[in-house]
Amino acid sequence: MSHLLDRLNFLQSKELEQFSNGHGQVTRENRDWEDTYRNRWRHDKVVRSTHGVNCTGSCSWKIYVKSGIVTWETQQTDYPRTRPDLPNHEPRGCARGASYSWYLYSANRVKNPLVRGRLMKIWRKMRETMEPIAAWTKLQGDPVLRASYVENRGMGGFVRATWDEATEITAAANAYTAKTYGPDRVFGFSPIPAMSMVSYAAGSRYLSLMGGVCMSFYDWYCDLPPASPMTWGEQTDVPESADWYNAGYLLLWGSNVPQTRTPDAHFYTEARYKGTKSAVICPDYSEAAKFGDVWLNAKQGTDAALAMAFGHVILREFHLDRQTEYFEDYVRKYSDFPMLVQLDQKDGHLVPGRFLRADDLAGKLGEKNNPEWKTVAFDEVSDSLVSPNGSVGYRWGEDGEWNLEEKANTADTRLKLSLVLDEDHDDVVAVDFPYFGGQTFGQFNTDAEHPDILTRNIPVKMIKGPKGKKIAVATVFDLFCANYGLDRGLGGDWVTNDYNDQMPGTPAWAEKITGVPADKIIHVAREFADNAEKTTGKSMIIIGAAMNHWYHMDMNYRGVINMLVMCGCVGQSGGGWAHYVGQEKLRPQTGWQPLAFGLDWSRPPRHMNSTSAWYAHSDQWRYETLEAKEILSPTAPDGDWDINLIDYNIRAERMGWLPSAPQLKTNPLEVAKSAKAAGKDISAYVAENLKSGDLEMSCEDPDNPANWPRNLFVWRSNLLGSSGKGHEYFLKHLLGTDHGVMGKDLGQDGAQLPKEAVWHKDAPRGKLDLLVTIDFRMSTTCVYSDIVLPTASWYEKDDMNTSDMHPFIHPLQAAVDPAYESKSDWEIFKAIAKKFQEITPGYLEKETDVVLLPILHDTPAEIAQDQVLDWKKGECDLIPGKTAPAFVTVERDYTAIYDRFTALGPLLDKLGNGGKGISWDTQTEIDNLSALNGVQLDGAAAGRPKIETAIDACEVILMLAPETNGEVAVKAWHALEKATGREHAHLAEGEQHNKIRFRDIAAQPRKIISSPTWSGIESEKVSYNAGYTNVHELIPWRTLTGRQQLYQDHLWMRAFGEGLMSYRPPVDLKTITADVLDDGDTLVLNFITPHQKWGIHSTYTDNLLMLTLNRGGPVVWISEVDAKSAGIKDNDWIEAYNINGALTARAVVSQRIKEGTAFMYHAQEKIVNTPGSEKTGNRGGIHNSVTRTTMKPTHMIGGYAHQSYGFNYYGTVGSNRDEFVVIRKMKNVDWLDNGATPAVEAAE
Amino acid sequence: MDRTLKAISLILSYPTLELQQAMPEIGGVLAADTRLTAAARRDLRPVVEELAGRDIYALQEQYVMLFDRSRTLSLNLFEHVHGESRDRGGAMVSLIETYRDGGFEPATSELPDHLPVLLEFLATRSQTEGQETLADAAHIFEALVTRLARRESAYGAVFAALSQLAAVEADSEAVAAMLAEPEVDPTDLEALDEVWEESEVLFGPDPNAGCPQVRDMLSRMDTPINPSPRQAAE
Repeated sequence: MSHLLDRLNFLQSKELEQFSNGHGQVTRENRDWEDTYRNRWRHDKVVRSTHGVNCTGSCSWKIYVKSGIVTWETQQTDYPRTRPDLPNHEPRGCARGASYSWYLYSANRVKNPLVRGRLMKIWRKMRETMEPIAAWTKLQGDPVLRASYVENRGMGGFVRATWDEATEITAAANAYTAKTYGPDRVFGFSPIPAMSMVSYAAGSRYLSLMGGVCMSFYDWYCDLPPASPMTWGEQTDVPESADWYNAGYLLLWGSNVPQTRTPDAHFYTEARYKGTKSAVICPDYSEAAKFGDVWLNAKQGTDAALAMAFGHVILREFHLDRQTEYFEDYVRKYSDFPMLVQLDQKDGHLVPGRFLRADDLAGKLGEKNNPEWKTVAFDEVSDSLVSPNGSVGYRWGEDGEWNLEEKANTADTRLKLSLVLDEDHDDVVAVDFPYFGGQTFGQFNTDAEHPDILTRNIPVKMIKGPKGKKIAVATVFDLFCANYGLDRGLGGDWVTNDYNDQMPGTPAWAEKITGVPADKIIHVAREFADNAEKTTGKSMIIIGAAMNHWYHMDMNYRGVINMLVMCGCVGQSGGGWAHYVGQEKLRPQTGWQPLAFGLDWSRPPRHMNSTSAWYAHSDQWRYETLEAKEILSPTAPDGDWDINLIDYNIRAERMGWLPSAPQLKTNPLEVAKSAKAAGKDISAYVAENLKSGDLEMSCEDPDNPANWPRNLFVWRSNLLGSSGKGHEYFLKHLLGTDHGVMGKDLGQDGAQLPKEAVWHKDAPRGKLDLLVTIDFRMSTTCVYSDIVLPTASWYEKDDMNTSDMHPFIHPLQAAVDPAYESKSDWEIFKAIAKKFQEITPGYLEKETDVVLLPILHDTPAEIAQDQVLDWKKGECDLIPGKTAPAFVTVERDYTAIYDRFTALGPLLDKLGNGGKGISWDTQTEIDNLSALNGVQLDGAAAGRPKIETAIDACEVILMLAPETNGEVAVKAWHALEKATGREHAHLAEGEQHNKIRFRDIAAQPRKIISSPTWSGIESEKVSYNAGYTNVHELIPWRTLTGRQQLYQDHLWMRAFGEGLMSYRPPVDLKTITADVLDDGDTLVLNFITPHQKWGIHSTYTDNLLMLTLNRGGPVVWISEVDAKSAGIKDNDWIEAYNINGALTARAVVSQRIKEGTAFMYHAQEKIVNTPGSEKTGNRGGIHNSVTRTTMKPTHMIGGYAHQSYGFNYYGTVGSNRDEFVVIRKMKNVDWLDNGATPAVEAAE
Repeated sequence: MDRTLKAISLILSYPTLELQQAMPEIGGVLAADTRLTAAARRDLRPVVEELAGRDIYALQEQYVMLFDRSRTLSLNLFEHVHGESRDRGGAMVSLIETYRDGGFEPATSELPDHLPVLLEFLATRSQTEGQETLADAAHIFEALVTRLARRESAYGAVFAALSQLAAVEADSEAVAAMLAEPEVDPTDLEALDEVWEESEVLFGPDPNAGCPQVRDMLSRMDTPINPSPRQAAE
């Protein structure tokens, strides 16, 4: 609009009215233009929500809505204030979150339920004459019809369906699968409940009620650091970001805080202003590097060597040459350093063996309860062996002594750390330590020659065992110091007191491996420890995926943890480990579990560790290139170790260490019927038939059609895209469609075949009958699905979100109705449950199911196997729950799945609620929920509290969880007091009457209440930090020793040489073979996939505006030197390949990158800007195309206190950094426009 | 009611059996409208026949692939005007208010900028208003005609007809700008990528120019080493 006509150009009126003593004046010109600005900020309402994406941000946002349309969002700034002298949290948010409203209405949204056209056509035709389940049965019985849609996965051909049809197909498939093969053939994968916990719970509740399998994610994503359960008996517990500010020294190790923890980075900046020093360790010049006072660019994958050298310096200067009082006191009380280890004979040499237990001593130190689980140390007060309080033996079967008081048998103690003094030891003996630093290949081959066994002198005490047998024992601390190569005046080889010696453990040795100058290593180690001494533990290490995604991630992490324990940092505000990988912290966890896994109706749920399951069922095991003997320790005890990695997993499943899914080759519903028909107890029946071989575990033959997973739900995840390690194997075997696998399997290769797994010459293709994906955008996984259901996004549903980065609980709220035809995850699964309940009666009724339950951590069963014995090999009897999984009977009602879904069941009234080894009565909360949500008036759940809406579900979580209900928190602390014999309830008593409701968090983010589920506290004095209650409340860590356990004595840990931490180079996966390598290709680089700045995993990587902030599509970063050697210039199209597959991308050539590495940001989408690969002739893959999962046997250990299975707590992990690719410039960029068309025409 | 606009609204809706049965009638309406040239009316016959006669599943798969899945063919007009930008929400709000001022309340799960929704609304308005509104979108129709022609889709004629009803010469610069975006093969999942083919970096007042410091780099980036076959063919 022009204002020219309204405006005076040449004249100014003299008659202006004035007011306020001439400070103001009235004008009469047209001011319509102001409306533009008024309208721009006009809205009907502002709603609080957040983004349910796995970024750990959990930021509060204001969503502006006008006429039912989201117009924009801005950051909320009403977080509760922090205490004085600590910066506030806000503003939280980042560019990704700020662009979400643009993404909301993107053309890439899934608008309607979609079904593969061919499936829809067949279905409708069959439904004209048949009932739904009969139709699905017919369809699956006809191989031609099944193949007609299975083989077309990923090739387009969707049609719209109604919700009624889509849910009907899904429910019919589920019912058919449960009846035909067993409910454990229905899988569901959804990650990270913390990012939208009700949406997660919707699917897992449905699956759990019908007996389906909930797949784990934290381990599969390789975000789980197994070193945490190994050391602390805790999945992961970390400081909130505000606690960075309390640190005096911050070591950023492979974590790019400003790039990937954007909303929290300000605490890092503010700490720098306060005077906190910071060192940054990462191979590339990352955004974080510029914050460092010093930047150590260690070679990728060699972090453990660096950690060893740090530890070498710290031990030398703060524990040996000078004993720091604080450090010594800390490690005596809070680590396993004083515990005694038996030394075993092996080929005429001594090697570190098991912890000495009370059971190993004559008289068992008077311990009658669990003496084989009570570790032993020397006490200076009584000058005798004692069994100190707090080991796992005290946790179960007795009360009051499971604590970290310096006591044993009620007497005060002072445990001896070392036997190094002449009067303390009986002898000095030579002990073998494995050395892996020489097992290198390619670019890691930088270590000087050292033998693979290093024999060192150790001071020992000779003691008498039960049969008069003499046992040599040493303290963990003495073994630990020797392992770091420290000379203690005992003579012998492989120890030194000179940092410049080329001896494993020294800074000079580490310099050679890592490329970091020794003087810088010494400098940082000194500063780190010096600060910890002066501040009693305020040195912190922030670590991330870069450290954890290696095959030997445990070594990296244990190296870091050792440093922190040596310096007394864990459990101190401002100190400790800060592992931020994945939004793992589901703060109201114990309130959420009953809802999520249907524990209110039946227990136990079926949980499966995904890495093992996908390894088996996408047949990646058939291509395994890593042999156990390559990673076995030269000091391994005798045993049958030369088996394939899948064999280890099968043994682990059989011994009850890891879960199984599917579980038995026979349908568990049939097993229960047979047992009943035979008049036998079901558990005894299963045990008997497993022994006789009449029942078989599915894991032993994953390629047998009877053992395939048949239905798969994927929601809140891009399983086949950003998280599909071994993407091409998924396509080939699980889905049965076009793929880019180039390698040969073990049979074709003439390699050693598995001993435990049945080998089929031809691998199956297309195991899944039905793949249902629920998403709001057309992700790579959607593209390969049979049914795609459109879900509500983050401004369209009610839910809750928590993070490890801050202690607040956030709502997601439906600011607007879900766009197009979409529905929230809660409503979708409710609809499927309803359909299931409609169509199932007459087909499935009330049925008895048998669930195979592994030996679980934090239960009395966890002290099951102090020896490794395999019942199948006749080494012991099969005792369910002790030497094998437990076989638990579960009653299901398939005619009431919906009724149960929408009501809180009666099992909580009977069994109470709890977690992590404690439980409490929760009747009050159930009564409160009945009053708050109302009760169901009819149906199978009449009289039970309603869970109709997602908000009802939120209220269930909030009411039951100690973190959000102070009354429950007090009950929970009282429950723990019984075990520890100490008073803890003061931590929550002030909050007893605080009950947080959904509307409270909608009004303002609310801080959680301290609870025994977590090891940190909420207080006005300290920020949340892990291990705080262990150190300050003397609650034991949930490990074998009850302390931070730096020595791992399980047989398999010792066999694989990981009793103590050491440097292990990346493993050689042999993915670049002569078969696959083309002439002239010479550039082989280590393939690294860090998190990016412009997306969260694959979310936002299909957002054009985000992409244009980078280069608009997939890129691979390489160094200038490497680029030059292969004739690659910046922005060239390049191809990266190995036997797993190939990908195409543009090259970013940068000085930032260290030679030898290629960076590809995780996780760009296959559907975006990807030309065809010259190598495979197919479309270039995604970053997971060149990866394959490789499992590590030590992660399969179970039945052994802290090394026992827990969902997402322990188990195999999907590491992916030991991967190498060939990189070359592409000659031709082919967009495959022509090639792909005939396939689609054929589809029509 | 402007039966022609209503007919086009129906043709551009998701194909159903009901639509198939109504196609003769719909075809009749279009064939009779003299605002369209004889050639335009003739060109509409294939799409009318295809919708009337082809297997419904094939039609639906094609529709999903073309209009639900292909960004460059989106029937949400603001996808072409605003893309994923902050202005889009506000623009949709204005459009809803236009419908409300006209005495209607949207009763669909589609967003207000969905073309069939807009056409149905315009069918209830005066011809002048219809023509003026369509004129604002003329460059989008022109671009879609070309894009659909490249895919040999019969739907192109529908947008050609809309162009004629708009009765203006489309802003050729705007059309060219839209067409400069790379092509998509709608029947091919993988060709969806072409939407993303260019690594365009947007800077400054002229989004295609780039900032001076990077202009040369951008122009190098914009030229593939070997252009895609379809572009090469043009």
